[in-house]
Amino acid sequence: MTKKELRQRAKELAKEHGYLQYMIERYLSLWGEEDTLRFIKACEQPIRTAIRVNTLKMSVDLLIPRLQEKGVTLETVPWLNDGFYADFNESSPGALLEHMLGFYYVQGVPSMTAVSVLNPEPGDTVLDLAAAPGGKTTHIAQMMENEGLVIALEQDRQRMTSLRSNIIRCGATNTMVIRGDARKLDDLPFQPNKILLDAPCSGEGLIPLDPTRKTSKTMADVRFCATREDEMLEAAVNILAMGGTMVYSTCSIAPEENEYVLDDILKRHPEMSVVEISAEFGSSGYSEPYGIRLNESLKNARRFLPHLHKTEGFFICKMRKKERSAQ
Amino acid sequence: MKFEFVDPVAWGAITQQIDIEFGAGVTKSLLGNRAPLMISKNSSQMVYAIPPEWISILMEEGENLDIQFIGKELGSVEKGRFRLSLHILSEVAKMTNSFILVSKRGAEAFTYGRSIIRESVLELNPTLERGQRVFVLNENKECLGVAALSVDAFKINRLGADRLVAKNLVDIGWFIRRLG
Repeated sequence: MTKKELRQRAKELAKEHGYLQYMIERYLSLWGEEDTLRFIKACEQPIRTAIRVNTLKMSVDLLIPRLQEKGVTLETVPWLNDGFYADFNESSPGALLEHMLGFYYVQGVPSMTAVSVLNPEPGDTVLDLAAAPGGKTTHIAQMMENEGLVIALEQDRQRMTSLRSNIIRCGATNTMVIRGDARKLDDLPFQPNKILLDAPCSGEGLIPLDPTRKTSKTMADVRFCATREDEMLEAAVNILAMGGTMVYSTCSIAPEENEYVLDDILKRHPEMSVVEISAEFGSSGYSEPYGIRLNESLKNARRFLPHLHKTEGFFICKMRKKERSAQ
Repeated sequence: MKFEFVDPVAWGAITQQIDIEFGAGVTKSLLGNRAPLMISKNSSQMVYAIPPEWISILMEEGENLDIQFIGKELGSVEKGRFRLSLHILSEVAKMTNSFILVSKRGAEAFTYGRSIIRESVLELNPTLERGQRVFVLNENKECLGVAALSVDAFKINRLGADRLVAKNLVDIGWFIRRLG
């Protein structure tokens, strides 16, 4: 397909399915027409609700039968220890007593996966950037068994309320919530050995959950987000301890906000490398999106795509900072 | 927000309030090896308990941090009165006899912000007095919140089924109702 033909086809599909043309143009370039149509179709399907059992308060073995008794159908997420697809049938996921008691957290499978990939352990010092509403913060605390320190950084005053309430509900007691800008970390008196940067993004992966996203963001918005993501990543790389691990994730499927940003970071920071993710989920990151060659190791990142994995679109990349070399 | 380590006098006042209502030694068990710390917020002061290893970080660099929440939230002090945080309710509930056990229906109503009426009460220590704060537990002994007794416990058998026994002060549904 020539560039002109691609544009024409994108225009037709965009009109037919209610998207902005630039989005379809990019999908056609990345995936071809067949997969683009599958993507568009998948975005019209609902995403399965999922929960994480909060083992700080309740064991999986006790909670599952209790929820089943209330008519909730559960199915294990194969690569997650405490994650389940959950069909609440007649009930609302947030209205059950077990939810109020903090026995589970309603959370997207990709979000749970990002924390699982970071693999926080008891005693770690973990920095969670742009932390509200706290799903990942409380998951980190859970994996650390409330031992060690989770620094949850959030700038938005309004979102601070939900962050606090989720920490309280889930019984996390090893968190320090700090108000601050994730792009300015120089003054933080910590040297985390693990960082989770689930960056605020354009949300291009959330079309199945929010159909308005088909038309709400322009390419300029995507570029704006990419610049901010780059600034956050730069700050995070600088504060990460030598030998430390970082997970970068977004709920965007745009290579401009993911692989491109990481490629720039890898060029600027030779001490950083992308590492393989051992769990089996999603598909590989792109090392040549739109025909532009990027760092080959970006194939080790993972993508969730609605038409391939029946989840919202999501990107996860795990990186490591080199140990300090011996003098 | 500004934080400060709690001085012994202020901590003594908080300890006294908790222990008088929920039993001697409850505050000590609750604190464990952690250190109490206060953060001023509007007209109240939030009280937290933090692990000892965090103290040096806060002493040296804490001034520059806008800390909003830290460690275990014990409660808040407003006009000299201490209120327990939802964060520690279930922990304290296990240490005290000041509780009221309610039926499934009563438990559901309570988590929707309602108070407790006579017909919902399954168990109540008869020595508890009017005005006293009690933990509200469901049939699984899970803590749903705190209520204030509106009647002396030994008198509840004289009440009609729909009469108020304990007024809802705080319940675990509060955040969900507030945040939607």
